Amino acid sequence: MHDFFQLIVSGVLLGGVYALCALGLNLIFGVAKVVNFAHGEFLMLGMYAGYWLMRGTGINPYFGAPLVGAAFFVLGLLFYWCLMRFTIYKPEMTQVFATLGLGIALQNLALLLWGGDYRTVQVMPAGAESVELLGITVSANRLVAFCFAIAILAAVVLFMRATFLGRAIEAISQDISAARLMGIDPGRIFLITFGLGIGLTGVAGAVLVPSFYAFPSVGTFFVLVAFVVVVLGGLASVPGTVIGGLVLGVVESITGFFSPDLKEATHFVLLILLLALRPHGLFGVKGAEKEALR
Amino acid sequence: MIMSRYLVLHRSDAAWTALLAAVVVGGALVPSNDYYLNLLVLTLLYAGLASAWNIVGGMAGQFSLGHTAFFGIGAYTSTVLLNYAGVSPWLGMLAGAAFSMVLAVLIAFPTFRMRGVFFAMATLAFSETVRILLIYSRKFVELPYGLSIDFKPGLARMVFSDRASYVWLAGGYLAAVLVAAFLLSRSFTGFYLRAIRDNEDAADASGVPVRRYKLLALLVSAAFSAVGGTLMAQYVMYIEPGTVFTIGFSVDLALMSILGGVGTLAGPVLGAAIALPFREFLVEAFGDSASGTHLVVYGLLLVVIVVLLPQGLLGGVRSLRAQMSQGRRRAAAAEARLAAGTGTGGR
Repeated sequence: MHDFFQLIVSGVLLGGVYALCALGLNLIFGVAKVVNFAHGEFLMLGMYAGYWLMRGTGINPYFGAPLVGAAFFVLGLLFYWCLMRFTIYKPEMTQVFATLGLGIALQNLALLLWGGDYRTVQVMPAGAESVELLGITVSANRLVAFCFAIAILAAVVLFMRATFLGRAIEAISQDISAARLMGIDPGRIFLITFGLGIGLTGVAGAVLVPSFYAFPSVGTFFVLVAFVVVVLGGLASVPGTVIGGLVLGVVESITGFFSPDLKEATHFVLLILLLALRPHGLFGVKGAEKEALR
Repeated sequence: MIMSRYLVLHRSDAAWTALLAAVVVGGALVPSNDYYLNLLVLTLLYAGLASAWNIVGGMAGQFSLGHTAFFGIGAYTSTVLLNYAGVSPWLGMLAGAAFSMVLAVLIAFPTFRMRGVFFAMATLAFSETVRILLIYSRKFVELPYGLSIDFKPGLARMVFSDRASYVWLAGGYLAAVLVAAFLLSRSFTGFYLRAIRDNEDAADASGVPVRRYKLLALLVSAAFSAVGGTLMAQYVMYIEPGTVFTIGFSVDLALMSILGGVGTLAGPVLGAAIALPFREFLVEAFGDSASGTHLVVYGLLLVVIVVLLPQGLLGGVRSLRAQMSQGRRRAAAAEARLAAGTGTGGR
């Protein structure tokens, strides 16, 4: 029984991190209806940003995360302005392959600049790597990352509900023509959404780097995880993303206990089954996946 | 059969065939250095693989990112059979094709309900699952991480000492895929597939058995991809999960098709014939300076091409020609009006 709780708790912690990873993807997907296949590469860049910030200035990635987020917000604006705005009303496969091509380029750019080494940073003082809570041992890094994830997710929900900009984004994601008639400029909302989505992805990367290794192709793993989370939780739903992340984290931690080599395969089988049986996700709005496809 | 009425040869088909035959025969017979022959073999193989992808990805519009699984299964099945049971790859490639067709049926059940980008995501997940299961299976069966094929030339072993033989092999493979694609494309099946691609609901409503035809396209595509995997393994003579099961491979095939013109017969071949030598050129231009540079340039150029020419080179040429002929027609009409003396033309 104790083992079981241990598994659940570490699964929940992992799940929070996964939710954070997927948030940027889901935001862009929900609003601009673009599946960003370069999402994993942006996350990878965020991890490197956290790593180099620590190495260069000694700023702990947890404290540096807002800095990385601000830089990635600008990167996201550039991403939209230089590339995605040309693809936004094109067939979806144009978007898929434009982002895939960008992903290839970014991944190899990282390889070129920083080599293929696995990098991580030590932020917790020796002896404080794990924390004991009610007899359950958890990694301190995971715990901090989880707290970050929850704080950011809450902030995003608040932003979407309580600010005018957030509501405008929500309106565009629900019905673009009606929103346009209400005087909302979709181009500007898309621009801001890409900035926010990539900014959040940068934050997620920076927060991940103390507990996961950064290397050029790490994005391939995380982009698939993010797909699973998004599909699990329902498209364009922030609370759904949280739940999707938590479910995936717990599932991974349980399957990892029984057969560590197969835990990735479980993700993908889960993804295929979900897409087939409940394409709108466990908690998403029915038909949202068709809306996303126009 | 009524089908044959639609199976007409256009002049351009004959021209493409002649060009392709000239390249293959010329490549095999004209003495050349190893570098160009290697490039030719790889280009022909990739052209065949991209054409196989195009059957389901282009004609039927189901953008699969999982073809690396079929390819890898083809490579692994024939190599394992050759190394551990002494089965000739000529038979092994059929076994690989059969195996990947079985998998295609399995994957078709859940994924054919999905459209567009969801299909792409699910097939991507599928190919990753196959790779992970393969690596996992090494726990139970004695299988080294990489498999190499012994260099003992022989027709039965499909190992040749000269590269020209591989040109014939790869050229024959490409021809087989193209014939299959041609027959599918110019028959009722092709019409159905295009109807599904353009509007699945409308096709369904018009009585096209959507799932059956999608499955047919996937089966043909999977079988040819597996055969291509066998040939690639026989040519490279070394396979490992990291090389034959990489996601980048599926992406490459799709991008080659898009570059040339997705859904057309010549498009994937044209795309492969441009992309592969181009990448070789980039490797040479940047290769020595650092690893990865050529792929940075490659990736960025693909982005530019996809955004600027979503219909591919063939599509671009086609729309250019349509514009030009439209212009000519307009000019002719204006002239006719002038000649008739109405005086309103010319503008």
